[in-house]
Amino acid sequence: MMLFKTIKFKLTLWYVVILGIILSSFSFFLYFTLADSLYTGVDNKIKTMAEIVVSSARSPFGAGTSITDLDQIMTERFGIRPLGRFIQILDESGKVGGRSTNLRDMQIPISVQTLTAASKGKTTFETVQVMGKYPLRVVTMPITENERMVGIVQVGSSLEGVEEALHELLIILLIAVPAALLFASAGGLFLANKALRPVDEITQIARRIGSGDLNQRIRIKRVNDELGRLASTFNEMIAKLERSFRQVRRFTADASHELKTPLTILRGEVEVGLKKKRGMKEYQRILASNLEEISRMSRIVDDLLTLSRADMGELTMVHEEIKLSSLAREVWEDLQILAQGKGVQLNFMDDGFTTVEGDPLFLRQLILNLTENGLKYTPSGGKVQLKVEGDRDQGVVRIFVSDTGVGISQKDLKRVFDRFFRVDQARSRETGGTGLGLSICQWIVHAHEGQIAVESKVGKGSTFTVTLPLKD
Amino acid sequence: MRILVVEDEKKVASFLKKGLEEEYYAVDCAYDGEEALFMVETNDYDLVILDIMLPKIDGLEVLERVRDKGLTIPVLMLTAKDSVEDVVRGLDAGGDDYLTKPFAFAELLARVRALFRRKEREPAGELRVADLVLDPVAHKVSRGGEEIELTAKEYALLEYLMRHANRVVTRTMITEHVWDYHFDPMTNVIDVYVNHLRKKVDPNSSRRLIHTIRGVGYILKEIGDDAV
Repeated sequence: MMLFKTIKFKLTLWYVVILGIILSSFSFFLYFTLADSLYTGVDNKIKTMAEIVVSSARSPFGAGTSITDLDQIMTERFGIRPLGRFIQILDESGKVGGRSTNLRDMQIPISVQTLTAASKGKTTFETVQVMGKYPLRVVTMPITENERMVGIVQVGSSLEGVEEALHELLIILLIAVPAALLFASAGGLFLANKALRPVDEITQIARRIGSGDLNQRIRIKRVNDELGRLASTFNEMIAKLERSFRQVRRFTADASHELKTPLTILRGEVEVGLKKKRGMKEYQRILASNLEEISRMSRIVDDLLTLSRADMGELTMVHEEIKLSSLAREVWEDLQILAQGKGVQLNFMDDGFTTVEGDPLFLRQLILNLTENGLKYTPSGGKVQLKVEGDRDQGVVRIFVSDTGVGISQKDLKRVFDRFFRVDQARSRETGGTGLGLSICQWIVHAHEGQIAVESKVGKGSTFTVTLPLKD
Repeated sequence: MRILVVEDEKKVASFLKKGLEEEYYAVDCAYDGEEALFMVETNDYDLVILDIMLPKIDGLEVLERVRDKGLTIPVLMLTAKDSVEDVVRGLDAGGDDYLTKPFAFAELLARVRALFRRKEREPAGELRVADLVLDPVAHKVSRGGEEIELTAKEYALLEYLMRHANRVVTRTMITEHVWDYHFDPMTNVIDVYVNHLRKKVDPNSSRRLIHTIRGVGYILKEIGDDAV
């Protein structure tokens, strides 16, 4: 029963119904117009003939014209003796006076009404059943002399030709119309099928996509028609979906991988530790290591939470006027201990008017992440510089964090803001990185309508530049 | 039984080494793909525990290269990736078993034992030669129902000899399968350990099981009289 619900079936049905109505109307019109015209033709012919006979009857021959005379008149007037036309002359009382030879011994009947009408000088047309299967069309015309009916002329014509023609037409129409409709529905279904095949294809592909295969695309043959446009729109949509699905999948896989590593360590160390009795030192070592992994995990979870809240738009930013140079100075002071511990020189510079509008906590995290990152990748004896600079001409505040660290290769440079991307897996893990710091930085900058960029040379160091709009 | 642990995460590698050594296995560690390939080529391991995500050359490629060289050494893959495709890819690349992180250490040990059994086509359970019985799960050895106390190395040596019972085991085979990378082959440590083992396993010289094949190595075999 699915077929009856399809668009192609409905289209074909409508098409056939409309075509049926048109063809039937046309057939009716044709049939009745033709019938009318044929009947009128017969009427006109017999009327003309009757008029001739009437005028002949008024001529010197008089009313007593014989049958042979009638035939003769016809031959004289029309050149031939008309077959299938019957002439009958009656006197005023309705008695047959003469008739054409082709009537033989038959008589054209005349009703009382017709006779009465004739007596009043009226001409009557009627269809009577006389002989054979075909009716006779009869005109009854009075012969008047001085306003008085002196006789009646009846001219009949068999309707055989007309009826046969109409009958044949009817048969032709009855066969042709349904046949035409049949062909039309087959053709309509074919055309609808052809036109709607891309829709079927789209449906099938959509179904496959529904089952998780986002690699599918619709092959587009005609680009410029409606379905072609639908298909290409559909393809674009799937491509977008595929991209975002891939990102989500990748992110989830990365996140679970990040969490699984500390979990593996925790579980493995504890299980191996519990296998037998060990010394105090060994237990302390295991616990310290576990603590390290636990804090790593909570950092990852915190960062993930921040990012996912940011993605969902759930993080609310405070809009305050903040002097970035003071914020940066605080961060610089906080990181001094870390820098000294690593033997890295951490410098701070500020220049000009550096007030921006934004969230102090997030902006602090931004500067902290970038500076900590710089310290992380700079070996002992290196230098990290934090600089905040206001640029009134361009209406921006710039934060520069440059280091003399390991640097980032050109290939990795565009991926450093990707979630869980790490230039050096091992080093980052050893320094306790989550692989999410720069992603968070990027989000904070974008949320403040700013830009973040990075330049780097392997072995020479990297410079991160954040540009934020200046608050006047 | 000598195992190579390939794992870039130092802490994971370290607890694996410790835990496996406490089960009397000889364990070496490699921290990236290149090192792993070098170690597999230069030593005769009985098993490789291989992480998939590795620096330099990733685990799957290491596995493919090992198999391309025609090495049939059992490989237990260890990874945080747990999707069906990853498992299938790992096994199709030539892995013998697959364990996803985080794993239970007991399960890892059971899988390691299963892989050894499969390698030697042995049924599960105790190893038995005459009245000498070794339980590889509980690490218990007994002779004629009487329990024998062995050190870790003695146990590992006996297990190796029992797994190769009735076959001649050379000194090289013993160094490669019972000792790890730090073993100095120039010493006579093996002979010393075999003698210790012999004193504990064959106290009664009339029914000796461990025999010396002069200039070649040893054989663990039940022989009616003592003639070799």
